[in-house]
Amino acid sequence: MFPDLAGRRRRRMTARLVVAAFFAGLALVVGLWLTGGGLRGFAGVGGPATEIGRLSGLVASYLLLIQVLLMARIPWLERIWGHDVLARQHRLVGFLSFDLMLVHIVAITLGYAAAANSGVLHEIWLLVTVYPGMLLATAGTAALVAVVVTSIRASRRRMRYESWHLIHLYAYLGVALALPHQLWTGGDFTASPVATVFWWGLWAATAAAVLLWRVVTPLVRSARHRIKVLAVVPEARGVVSIVMSGNRLDKLGLQAGQFCQWRFLGRPGWTRAHPFTVSAVPTRDRLRITIRATGDGTRSLTALKPGTTVVVEGPYGVMNADRREHRDVLLIAAGVGVTTMRGLAEAIIAEPPSNGPGGYRRPSVVLLHRIHSQPDTLFAAEFGHLAGVGDLRVHALPGRRSASSAWWGGSRRIDPGTELRRLAPDLDDREVYLCGPAAWMTQVQHTLREQGVPKTAVHAEEFSW
Amino acid sequence: MKRIALAAFSTMAALVVLFLYPTSTGHSGTTAAAPVSAARVVTSTQPSTGTATSTGQGPDPATTTGSAPTGSAAASPTAAAPAAASTTVDGAAEMTRYGLVQVEVVITGGKITEVTALQYPNTDGRDVQINSRAIPKLRAQVIAAQSAKIDGVSGATFTSDGYVTSLQSALDAAGFKQ
Repeated sequence: MFPDLAGRRRRRMTARLVVAAFFAGLALVVGLWLTGGGLRGFAGVGGPATEIGRLSGLVASYLLLIQVLLMARIPWLERIWGHDVLARQHRLVGFLSFDLMLVHIVAITLGYAAAANSGVLHEIWLLVTVYPGMLLATAGTAALVAVVVTSIRASRRRMRYESWHLIHLYAYLGVALALPHQLWTGGDFTASPVATVFWWGLWAATAAAVLLWRVVTPLVRSARHRIKVLAVVPEARGVVSIVMSGNRLDKLGLQAGQFCQWRFLGRPGWTRAHPFTVSAVPTRDRLRITIRATGDGTRSLTALKPGTTVVVEGPYGVMNADRREHRDVLLIAAGVGVTTMRGLAEAIIAEPPSNGPGGYRRPSVVLLHRIHSQPDTLFAAEFGHLAGVGDLRVHALPGRRSASSAWWGGSRRIDPGTELRRLAPDLDDREVYLCGPAAWMTQVQHTLREQGVPKTAVHAEEFSW
Repeated sequence: MKRIALAAFSTMAALVVLFLYPTSTGHSGTTAAAPVSAARVVTSTQPSTGTATSTGQGPDPATTTGSAPTGSAAASPTAAAPAAASTTVDGAAEMTRYGLVQVEVVITGGKITEVTALQYPNTDGRDVQINSRAIPKLRAQVIAAQSAKIDGVSGATFTSDGYVTSLQSALDAAGFKQ
């Protein structure tokens, strides 16, 4: 419930602890390198290469597990940073660990070859076929190469999401296949009780986190809440609402503005998870999402049969109403992004009065909906009802895309910043929520920045992963 | 779904094949060592009728004297405390890619009581660093396992290999039953 000051404090503290733990682990790993040779090992034939190989291998191994943890859907991480930020960090850490792994491979090969006075190719052969666990590590490397190559933006854009995701799952295999050689050929993780406890501990924690929060939790939630499709309701051209029933949905912790990964079973495409935000505040036994049929995946959802079992992963996202500093809000959405705002508006309207600019009163909500034309308005009746119940003003921004109006739309030459101030004069006292295509949101954020709205007051979530 | 099933099946098949390879279960690949000299028995003492020192073991049933006291209490100089048969064998010197490894094993009363590394790579700083840690561990593993079937030391693949091969040749030469 807004204002959630205690929650914010708790999250800030936990964030600091998590970051500190990360750096402590990193320091420990570098310490293992130092105590197992480190700078001393630079002397000797092949010494520098071997030691660089050891350090890069150690850090790469550590980061390999960290990036798995980032995507393990650990609730505390999700609540603090939100899915967007975690996915971005996962990507960065992933590429970094991969680069270090490449350095490790090259450096060790050169170092060992020099120490044994053998040729590089011969050394590669020996490494892959003779040393314990190395054939597995080679297979693991191949898996990770496939994952990384397909995750570069250029290749990812060319692939279907399902194909990309299937290949990406091989990252688990790659990480697992690297473990045996870490224990049998590289002695650092077994050199001391501290090292052994740390390494096995981190490994076990990562495996447990993935199993618990990616596999077990959704299954348990499904069984406990028994979410089923109740009805599919057409809302507008190409847009339908999927209403779902369930038990004790208040225990899901799903708030307006948050999303889940939804799987609809018993039909082709049941393995695919769809990220959708709820389009209404969940009640104890009703959930609603509203989707636009854009591809085969979403098109098939418009034909869902009532009674279909739903498996849900989540809730994810930090776009919920609690996480704001200002009492009053400005919601800006484009197209079907307004479904998120429908939920947020309902939640915020219902909040009790609180202190803020203009005195002690209920929150004020201003909603701007960018659409192409009139038939694209959504939830007109529902917004009308909400406007009667609380302080909600809805403005449509119709019109074609045009360079003269940037994100505002329409063929007239206007300055979005001026128009924005006209509709929301108290912009400086409002928390802003955005939902729409990434390029459009970037334009909106530019205008907001120009108008002096701080970044911390703007919440945007994109679904383009 | 078909694609997922196909991927899962072929992945499992590939994993099975991978794990059939010896290095995937902790062993090292091809034998990392080649013998340079043969194993030979160095000394072999027969069970004696009495010495002042007792090894702390119980009376060896193989001794010819029958008046062995039970337990290993300090024996009087003239007591008939038996000494068990003791054999010292040098294993074959094995050439690994980093240098020669050769061990000497002492078998007393049917048990491996001592293993000494006569030769191991120790010229390079890195060799010293690895082997100074590995050799004592290998010795401990052998004495605990009472055979040459040990895990070896991580990070000292070739030393471990040479050590085990040399030890095995010594044990074979001594007719040691594992």
